[in-house]
Amino acid sequence: MSLLRGLLGMELIGISVRLFLDFQEKPASLDSALILDVPLGVISRIEKMGGATSRGENSYGLDITCKDMRNLRFALKQEGHSRRDMFEILTRYAFPLAHSLPIFAFLNEEKFDVDGWMVYNPVEEYRRQGLPNHHWRITFINKCYELCDTYPALLVVPYRASDDDLRRVAAFRSRNRIPVLSWIHPENKTVIMRCSQPLVGMSGKRNKDDEKYLDVIRETNRQINKLTIYDARPNVNAVANKATGGGYESDDAYHNAELFFLDIHNIHVMRESLKKVKDIVYPNVEESHWLSSLESTHWLEHIKLVLTGAIQVADRVSSGKSSVVVHCSDGWDRTAQLTSLAMLMLDSYYRSIEGFEILVQKEWISFGHKFASRIGHGDKNHADADRSPIFLQFVDCVWQMSKQFPTAFEFNERFLIIILDHLYSCRFGTFLYNCESAREKQKVTERTVSLWSLINSNKDKFKNPFYTKEINRVLYPVASMRHLELWVNYYIRWNPRIKQQQPNPVEQRYMELLALRDEYIKRLEELQLANSPKLSDPSTSPSSPSQMMPHVQTHF
Amino acid sequence: MKHITSAVEIQNIPSLLLLLVCLAIAHYSQPTDLQLLFAFEYVGKKYHNSASKANGIPSGGGGGGGIGVGGGSSQKTPLFETYSDWDREVKRTGASGWRVCSINEGYMISTCLPEYFVVPSSLADQDLKIFSHSFVGRRMPFWCWSHSNGSALVRTALIKDMLQQRKIDQRICNAITKSHPQRSDVYKSDLDKTLPNIQEIQAAFVKLKQLCVNEPFEETEEKWLSSLENTRWLEYVRAFLKHSAELVYMLESKRLSVVLQEEEGRDLSCIVASLVQVMLDPYFRTITGFQSLIQKEWVMAGYPFLDRCNHLKRSEKEAPVFLLFLDATWQLQEQCPAAFEFSETYLAVLHDSTRVALFGTFLFNSPHQRVQQSSEFAISKNIQLGDEKGLKFPSVWDWSLQFTAKDRTLFHNPFYIGKSMPCVQNGSVKSFKRTKKSYSSTLRGMPSSLKNGIISDQELLPRRNSLILKVKPDPPEQSDSQDRGAEQYFREWFSKPADLHGVILPLLSGMHIKLWKLCYFRWVPEAQIQRGGFITAFHKVSLLADEVDVLSRALRQPQGSPPEAPCPELVQSRVYFHAGGPHDAPGTPDFLSSSFPFSPVGNLCRRSISGTPLGKFLSGAKIWLSTETLANED
Repeated sequence: MSLLRGLLGMELIGISVRLFLDFQEKPASLDSALILDVPLGVISRIEKMGGATSRGENSYGLDITCKDMRNLRFALKQEGHSRRDMFEILTRYAFPLAHSLPIFAFLNEEKFDVDGWMVYNPVEEYRRQGLPNHHWRITFINKCYELCDTYPALLVVPYRASDDDLRRVAAFRSRNRIPVLSWIHPENKTVIMRCSQPLVGMSGKRNKDDEKYLDVIRETNRQINKLTIYDARPNVNAVANKATGGGYESDDAYHNAELFFLDIHNIHVMRESLKKVKDIVYPNVEESHWLSSLESTHWLEHIKLVLTGAIQVADRVSSGKSSVVVHCSDGWDRTAQLTSLAMLMLDSYYRSIEGFEILVQKEWISFGHKFASRIGHGDKNHADADRSPIFLQFVDCVWQMSKQFPTAFEFNERFLIIILDHLYSCRFGTFLYNCESAREKQKVTERTVSLWSLINSNKDKFKNPFYTKEINRVLYPVASMRHLELWVNYYIRWNPRIKQQQPNPVEQRYMELLALRDEYIKRLEELQLANSPKLSDPSTSPSSPSQMMPHVQTHF
Repeated sequence: MKHITSAVEIQNIPSLLLLLVCLAIAHYSQPTDLQLLFAFEYVGKKYHNSASKANGIPSGGGGGGGIGVGGGSSQKTPLFETYSDWDREVKRTGASGWRVCSINEGYMISTCLPEYFVVPSSLADQDLKIFSHSFVGRRMPFWCWSHSNGSALVRTALIKDMLQQRKIDQRICNAITKSHPQRSDVYKSDLDKTLPNIQEIQAAFVKLKQLCVNEPFEETEEKWLSSLENTRWLEYVRAFLKHSAELVYMLESKRLSVVLQEEEGRDLSCIVASLVQVMLDPYFRTITGFQSLIQKEWVMAGYPFLDRCNHLKRSEKEAPVFLLFLDATWQLQEQCPAAFEFSETYLAVLHDSTRVALFGTFLFNSPHQRVQQSSEFAISKNIQLGDEKGLKFPSVWDWSLQFTAKDRTLFHNPFYIGKSMPCVQNGSVKSFKRTKKSYSSTLRGMPSSLKNGIISDQELLPRRNSLILKVKPDPPEQSDSQDRGAEQYFREWFSKPADLHGVILPLLSGMHIKLWKLCYFRWVPEAQIQRGGFITAFHKVSLLADEVDVLSRALRQPQGSPPEAPCPELVQSRVYFHAGGPHDAPGTPDFLSSSFPFSPVGNLCRRSISGTPLGKFLSGAKIWLSTETLANED
């Protein structure tokens, strides 16, 4: 909550609502009312406060809860019916699905120099990984989403598994999400596979085809005779899932596999945890017992578990030289977190701006993380139990890694924040719908703009100046409470009482030094040109800066 | 934390020498008598050895040579042992109405005050002598620093003489008011009532150490945050920063002189006086300035290093007051990285140096104790002191005793925008031109136009966030609106971009006060981020800063002359990592970790990143056999 007092009026502009606000104490710098633009898509809930008979200041008005941890509360005048009108207009446009209106992204006519939809091409990405090879093939079996309606059209599977095998395995995996390849190690050729839980059920059903299929995966790697299965869930949850037909790979059925549980909790636990984070930072930041309040939200503890799980996957593949299968229940929440984070640790390509876009596009968007359900785009049912900040949690983990390795990522914090902002805004089609088949049906790529168009046409803004490109370096963050921090610049950015260090002083200083270096190089060149008029070509000059300073590197 | 290093490094010493080493450790660590400390034996031998040579005056006893690397930082650190150091400081700050007094020469008045200190000009020596009897430890009010607006920072012990209290208090306050160009009031800050005491600080640190180093890593993970909060260490760091920031408001915005009151005035006052000056005066954010601040507000002001560092195993007086100050300084540095000439490595090494019972700087409870103890020792060992007032112990500021020139470059912060370091604003390169009028490190006497306490217009520098303020008095504010005024002042400060050569203020909410990981985790292997941590960004900036340095030197070369083969001494850089150096391979060097340059695992083979000073002592066993080689190394 802010020092704002009243809402004077509002106006819909494109995908945002523009609010005209009045200040309780008007800062001297402000002549007129404050104007605040809130993307309509970010609104989670609109409520009326007080009634016609309410007395007292600020007791009558509107309360807007946002998906990005913001809460806006406006006092209104009781005269007239301005509040009813505002409420209705806001509700109508903030929740278009309930009013048979299109989502804003379909109305967006922005044009950018680059087309973000071209960023991810699965065939190219698999080719970059060296696929197909003699162990792995690309299959189009899911071209019409018939094998699995939440998987992408294009899948990588063991060469030795026939399409019929795949169909039989699909019958034994929750929602037909069979084990498919996410990533292959460039040297030792071990792989990260993702899937959903096996349909074991209470009776402990077995499926020869599934068992054989996992064995085929294991045999693609000759270095270790065991396959490692990571079940992201806590052991008890995996057992409990048997009651609803799910379960996990038992030792008796899968002789050549080792199963580990990673103790990561489900979407409901994560949602409640983030709610608690909001409680300690809004409207007031819990000051006197900040650290213990933070601890009681368990948010960082969950971050720690997700990171620990991903580190185990990465380490198993890289040092343990074992192929790995990752799943949770349906394989679209925790599994996406684990595979994408492990890939980020293992493959420096994903730590570049485009690489990261591809990673999100691949492991999250194409493999059916249910963005529409988890975020509730355009939907007014704010209490929907399907909503959960799973993708936010992943981005938080990436931010934690970037804090521990300030030179390892090409992108900066602004990049991560803009992704999260447009996760909610509905300005772009990137995060709309639950899976590729739905997106294809809606012709999302034809009818909307990609978020990557915005970012890639403005790349400099999102670059980390300290980035040092390193190939083949595995990053192992320290998943310890001693190093994990609350991402203040994201979670608390709307609190006017918390001053932000913007821009980052260290980054700023570096940029200044860069500018200084370029200036000096320019001056030096000018000097040398002035001093040696005969040598018109500076590259042949013995004292040209490029020769004097052989180590001068261009960082961008 | 210290014992871990020794344990690790002992493995590398031939077993034959191990016994000798252990004996030596047992002998020198925490002896029961001050004169049995290693420092005495070391200095004693130096005197004997040098007496047999010519002239007999050992070196290394003075102010030391700063860091002694690269441009401009080799100034000597003022020790404030002499009249002239104080006089220079008065002039540097432009203080008027203050004078250096010599009544404590030979420690005739107080054994825990320096021989020279600064007092209001309106108080005569005779009055001071009389007043002194009423103060605890005869520690009468003495000046620390003056703002360019004339407000002064003063510290004092309490008046124990209840009958005289009112009268003396009044006299002193009047005198301080008289020394203010605008005759502003005095603001008294009773530190004993507002800040944690030394027992609480010690208890917090014991818990912090227990949590960070002693308890099993995994077991403390689950409740890490609340355990950290329960140590109360960060809460105390924050309390000192907050209180100091409020006094900055008093001095700068309210233009009041501030008097720090504390029972003895030798602990909490040291922290607060230092922090206020670090925030207000950019000079104290340089290496030489910071060292002079420690001399002025700690060593000479009688901070009892001997008791607080517990060199003599009398633990009831132990308290890490100095570390708390370094930690608070680190918080400021963390928030304003470009405002400090020194790095966090420098702060950590400074902390380590307080635990080495070798440097005279951190060995005694007061300057008087050094003189007294060393004359006794000299007599007993038959050392001729001549005109000297005591033995010349090695100064910690002579960093070459502990670290190679290369290692010392790690003390420099590559983010620092110093006087000589140009910065870029709006795309164009500017140099910070520090004219005679500038605030720090130049001598500045009374402004000629300072008449009737009003600085005329032409004296006002049109500098944003300037320390020179318009003197036109504010409309008097009600005292109950004081909190609001301070809040307003902070809000306004934070709404502008920080002027790194002006005032810096800390963000004080719980989430902004952080644990100083380099200092407390450096010996914890599990907490190390391999090839990660802030140092990797530091490394990257160092390379760039070095490149910029090379370029600016090339630009300054006389025109037309061919590029000379760089002479190693001239090109000696201020940064540890060189652009053209052996670490130039793209990417982060393998040996970097979040604990760099300290490391919990054996690193003796790489001498350049030797850990604590203890590491240095143990790295060549000959040092234990003949101590005098120490100073001759490097």
